[in-house]
Amino acid sequence: MQSSPNMLTKFESKSSRAKGIAFHPNRPWILVSLHSSTIQLWDYRMGTLIDRFEEHDGPVRGIDFHPTQPLFVSGGDDYKIKVWNYQTRRCLFTLNGHLDYVRTVFFHPELPWILSASDDQTIRIWNWQNRSLICTMTGHNHYVMCAQFHPTEDLIASASLDQSVRIWDISGLRKKHSAPTSVSFEDQMARANPNQADMFGNTDAIVKFVLEGHDRGVNWVSFHPTLPLIVSAGDDRLIKLWRMSDTKAWEVDTCRGHFQNASACLFHPHQDLILSVGEDKTIRVWDLNKRTSVQSFKRDLDRFWVIAAHPKMNLFAAGHDTGVMVFKLERERPASAVYQNQLFYITKEKHVKSYDFAKNVESPPMLSLRKLGSPWVPPRTISYNPAERAILVTSPSDGGTYELINLPRDATGAVEPTDVKRGQATSAVFVARNRFAVFNPASQQVDIKDLSNSTTKTIKPPAGTTDIYFGGTGCLLFITPTTVALFDIQQKKQLAEVTVSGVKYVVWSNDGLYCALLSKHNVTIVTKTLEQVSTLHETIRIKSATWDDSGVLIYSTLNHVKYSLLNGDNGIIRTLDQTVYLVRVKGRNVYCLDRNAQPRTLEIDPTEYRFKLSLVKRNYDEMLQIIKTSSLVGQSIISYLQKKGYPEIALQFVQDPQTRFDLALECGNLEVAIDMARELDRPHYWSRLSAEALSHGNHQTVEMTYQKQRNFDKLSFLYLTTGDQEKLSRMAKIAEHRGDFTSRFQNSIYRGDVEDRIQMFKEVDQYPLAYLAAKANGLTEEAESILEACGLTEDQITLPSLESSLQVPRPIVPTFKSNWPVKAAGHSSFEKALLGEVGAADEEAGVDAFEAEEEDEEAVLAKDTLDDDEEDASGWDMGDDINVEEEVDFVNVESTEAGAGSSEADIWARNSPLAADHVAAGSFETAMQLLNRQVGAVQFAPLKDRFLEIFKASKTYLPASVGLPPLVNYVRRTTEETDIRKVLPFIPRDLETIASVDLQEGYAAMRSNKLEDGVKTFKRILHNVLVNTVSSEAEVEEAKKIISTAREYVLAMSIELERRKLSTDTPEGLKRSLELSAYFTIPKLEVAHRQLALMAAMKLAFANKNYNSALGFASRMLANGGSAKLLEQARKIKAQCERNPSDQIEVDFDPFAEFDICAASYTPIFSGSPFVTDPFTGAKYHEQYKGSVDRIADVTEIGAPASGLRLFVPSQY
Amino acid sequence: MDPFSAEGELLNIHNAFHSGQYQDVIDFETAAFSPENQLPARVLKLRSQIALGHSDEVLAAVASEEDTPDLAATKALAQQVAGKTDAALQLAQDLAENYPDNATVQVLASTVLQAQGQNEEAIAVLSKHQGNLEAVSLIVQIHLQQNRSDLAIKEVQAAKRWAQDSLLVNIAESWVGLRVGGEKYQSAFYVYEELASGPSTSAPLSIVGQAVAELHLGRLPEAEAALTAALEKYPTDAELIANTIVLNVLAGKPSADLESLLQQTEPSHALLADIQEKSALFDTAAAKYSPKVSS
Repeated sequence: MQSSPNMLTKFESKSSRAKGIAFHPNRPWILVSLHSSTIQLWDYRMGTLIDRFEEHDGPVRGIDFHPTQPLFVSGGDDYKIKVWNYQTRRCLFTLNGHLDYVRTVFFHPELPWILSASDDQTIRIWNWQNRSLICTMTGHNHYVMCAQFHPTEDLIASASLDQSVRIWDISGLRKKHSAPTSVSFEDQMARANPNQADMFGNTDAIVKFVLEGHDRGVNWVSFHPTLPLIVSAGDDRLIKLWRMSDTKAWEVDTCRGHFQNASACLFHPHQDLILSVGEDKTIRVWDLNKRTSVQSFKRDLDRFWVIAAHPKMNLFAAGHDTGVMVFKLERERPASAVYQNQLFYITKEKHVKSYDFAKNVESPPMLSLRKLGSPWVPPRTISYNPAERAILVTSPSDGGTYELINLPRDATGAVEPTDVKRGQATSAVFVARNRFAVFNPASQQVDIKDLSNSTTKTIKPPAGTTDIYFGGTGCLLFITPTTVALFDIQQKKQLAEVTVSGVKYVVWSNDGLYCALLSKHNVTIVTKTLEQVSTLHETIRIKSATWDDSGVLIYSTLNHVKYSLLNGDNGIIRTLDQTVYLVRVKGRNVYCLDRNAQPRTLEIDPTEYRFKLSLVKRNYDEMLQIIKTSSLVGQSIISYLQKKGYPEIALQFVQDPQTRFDLALECGNLEVAIDMARELDRPHYWSRLSAEALSHGNHQTVEMTYQKQRNFDKLSFLYLTTGDQEKLSRMAKIAEHRGDFTSRFQNSIYRGDVEDRIQMFKEVDQYPLAYLAAKANGLTEEAESILEACGLTEDQITLPSLESSLQVPRPIVPTFKSNWPVKAAGHSSFEKALLGEVGAADEEAGVDAFEAEEEDEEAVLAKDTLDDDEEDASGWDMGDDINVEEEVDFVNVESTEAGAGSSEADIWARNSPLAADHVAAGSFETAMQLLNRQVGAVQFAPLKDRFLEIFKASKTYLPASVGLPPLVNYVRRTTEETDIRKVLPFIPRDLETIASVDLQEGYAAMRSNKLEDGVKTFKRILHNVLVNTVSSEAEVEEAKKIISTAREYVLAMSIELERRKLSTDTPEGLKRSLELSAYFTIPKLEVAHRQLALMAAMKLAFANKNYNSALGFASRMLANGGSAKLLEQARKIKAQCERNPSDQIEVDFDPFAEFDICAASYTPIFSGSPFVTDPFTGAKYHEQYKGSVDRIADVTEIGAPASGLRLFVPSQY
Repeated sequence: MDPFSAEGELLNIHNAFHSGQYQDVIDFETAAFSPENQLPARVLKLRSQIALGHSDEVLAAVASEEDTPDLAATKALAQQVAGKTDAALQLAQDLAENYPDNATVQVLASTVLQAQGQNEEAIAVLSKHQGNLEAVSLIVQIHLQQNRSDLAIKEVQAAKRWAQDSLLVNIAESWVGLRVGGEKYQSAFYVYEELASGPSTSAPLSIVGQAVAELHLGRLPEAEAALTAALEKYPTDAELIANTIVLNVLAGKPSADLESLLQQTEPSHALLADIQEKSALFDTAAAKYSPKVSS
């Protein structure tokens, strides 16, 4: 039988023969007891030997970890049982008693008991707390090879070379040794003589069943963790399964297959499987229910002696002649594929499910893959094809198989797939919409197949290829043990190759530009053309990875979620309590599958890597944002910034003056450094600052620091070099004052001041020097007087030969006047971002003339009511009828004979009674007819731009064959529709855009007092609504609201513009001006805007001493409420006006009457007087304007008969 | 041998041509081709030159070899593109009559015929083809231009039966798909996206196709991303500009700059012609209306 591909070896050790194995319940440790008398403690995850325990004499066969305490027990051929503490690494004590080799030792799951089986034919139970033997079970009449506690019940199973398996009942023992609730006399008696059997023998442990069936000695026995089943392995090469009830036990079946002694066996902790090992060098896996062999694994040379299961995880260990191996029976990585917002994955039950990231919803099972591969082998990979909604699943069983299955449209349950295409391959991936590649390692061949599963192309991959992955559209990645190669399928050539060893998984970034190659301990990031970008190493195994939308790789190891930027900068995001497989990152959520193939969401804090990313991208705004909104700033991030060469940025975060000083020096920011040095004011900082300033040529700072340090020498020299004579002489004075002669001497030299030098020499009684100086500089008189003072004559002195007197070089440029010019470092862009923000805030604060608070404009808009709601209701129906009649001549061309058909544009015009659709169809005449009929449109020139705009957006140009014009396709708003009788055009600038963009633009114009622009904007809004379509009745209402809003604004702005044109020099002009300003307050504007109108009117009235009117406006303003500033003014004016509530100029404005404003003459239309309205805008006019063009939208005829504007036809949607 | 078979020498050059990588076609190393493939390869190179607007050079190149029907057909196409339409038509008609079975003649002559509005003649020439996919795609295009998507669908279905995975059939299917709409938009998108993102097939042609499909799907931001990126790369591609204009108008953005750019690069573009025509139409139609009272 060939070895199974599924068994995954996780760890192997090299040693002498391993006879006993024990898993640590929590840590990744195993104990291995060796034939050589050593006990080894391994970390199987890291692959390291942690410790060795060598106190036994001769082979150690039995070993076990205590389930909770830091203890383990061992039993050896020296007849000894030893209990160890692995923390202190010492043997705590030895239990002596057995008279021959000890075969196995086990801790009881709860009680402080140890069970041992020995060649002395006894089984013994020991209490390790009081280190005593509490029970000896006799009955076997040959070596006892194995004895185990039942995991939950008071039973023991033992296997012996006497060919029997015995089940023992130890409930009596437990009773005796557990604390009794009521202590009877018998109990007390029994406790008094714990080791004595009663007169009938040993009642503490009685044989319950003797299981006979093996023809040779039995080597091992194990209980099933939950079921009343027992499995045993014997020298008759058989694995026998036994069942027991309360009263009896019997043999169920035999598993045949080992062709040498079977040494050990156990039940799979979670699955219906039996595992056994034997001296035939195999590990065999059996189906518990069918007792058939599921898989087997063979070693070439080593006989197996023992097998153990991890108590919690899906891990096993087997000991053989040259060590141990830790292995898994199957991959626990669930097969999964991500497409946009969906994850497709295969559950443990082999159901295909999907998971929606956005909605966080798991779908019901879509398919059952029960028949794929063998029942115990989970599928390995899944590849998803969105175009065909198909999946490609591979399974490692039978040397690798793949299946191509179409997913059902809706998930209805775990149905068996129909129409499955399958074949042999270890890897299969979609490479294009209708192509997939399968790889067969045996033949070293990649077949490109179409969706009918027939091979269209065959590729020979590089030698040693182990796996293939999607390599970007039309390309494949070939994975060999040492390289990854990118191959263009169509051109059949290798495009690139990169040397990376042991790649196991390939993860593409969301934009397809980068790809992460995951191997066991390395992540290599490469570009889509396989240029290596970065690589990183992890000591812990890397399990999975996924890309953040911003191009950060998030990957998981066995116990961490980590990130890596493209530049390889990486770090830990969070720890994991169990291994997961990442599938996607979105914001703060990491989506993953756990080992049970359940989707899980982990929360992460992406701040750190986002910050680093924005640092790398120099996106300072975002950094600023992050800094403001998070508590990121800490010592670590500062040192990170500093280390990465961004001291100027780190500088922004630091408060501590000392660190700020350091950072400022590092980035050469002298200003900050000076400030900080002042704050610190310690010589050490001044001297560092001076050195830095000097190197900048900033001698003024240097001067200041020298002064601070009282470093006179250096100061003098600085003045000398910068040519500051004045200060130099001051330095001389200071030196004189301080009585520091050396300094004075120095200064006099610097200044070339001989007199002072001589004077100084004299003062310190250095007459010879004074004389010399005088003489050398030709000051004979002075020399004479010195001689005189000394009582010497000239001939008594021998002078050295004198040369020309010292000339101090004079600086040519007055350097001292300004600092050495340095290229303006300016602000780093980060600082700019900081400053820019402040600037923006300032601008906002600045208020212009018309600035007013805009509070909840939308709310106000919503509250606006329309007064012409009902007006058109009947007209709408009428319009419909007329149009239907018109379209009777619709003929649907479906004949197959040759000849041109109708273009889609023609069909649009037939399909729709809406003017906008006719415009899109290019049928301007009919569109105009419709508008004329619906709203009485007569002047179309203002609509020209709108017409052409809609028309321009109606079709796309798809280049096709060379030499022919491009194919024209029509852009539909009904993107789902394929019935040509229902398709309709897309109309640009939908209502939402108008409301959210154009309307706001109009409001902005109002606020900023750009009324000409405002009028244009609102007129444009009216035109855009006029030729448009909407998608619901509700939107029709909204459109009407927008029309009336726009109308009011156009009216109001026109009134105000009219007023501004007037000259107020004449009394008539002034009167009209006052009136118009009053009318400006009438249209129904947003409250904030009405306040502006009222304010203007109030001020004008007040200025012209129309106190009564002003009072009215002020009262209205106060009633409206709003910004405090405005109200304050209104209140003042009101108070003033109340003293003299009269108007100086009589105006035609009655604040208490109900009236509308005529949009043509800007005069009031009082209620009751006749008027005409415009059929489109609803603006009101005096009767004499009937028949002329509406002044608001400039399109329609005032008072024209109209059926009402149609924007919506219910049946279209 | 079928030039489109997966093992054919001509496959790659054909695919490059049909995915719009004309410069690659011209630069294609064809010296190693077998003698019978030399001519088709040359014709493809000449056609690529025409596609890139170098018709005059093509005319010069084939001047002395008009006896070869393939090259004569190329000449006809070059004449057509260069604006010598009468000569082109004449030559195309002659060729169609004399060499009705020559695949190149079928395709190029009917292209000339179609370009001059002679649809039925073009279809008649093409209908003689024997498994010529180019002819099929041309037939599909003619049907679509005639707004006969029903016939186009049939043609594509028929072709898919014998050449399911040919690039040309895929593209022709996408043309039809973009006309039919609904789910077909998405399929067409996949075809073009695949072409546009493949290193060996990315060209303005495929990017425009992808963007057009996005536009029809109503995915304006994606379309914008594709077109903007492509415009940076191919700033003078007329179809790119034209479709970007459409996109901008759809998205409510200004398009005047692009329109003048298109005016410069291809003043005869259908978009501009349409706008001009409709603008005139608007003025005439609007003139019929006037208010009762002039104000």
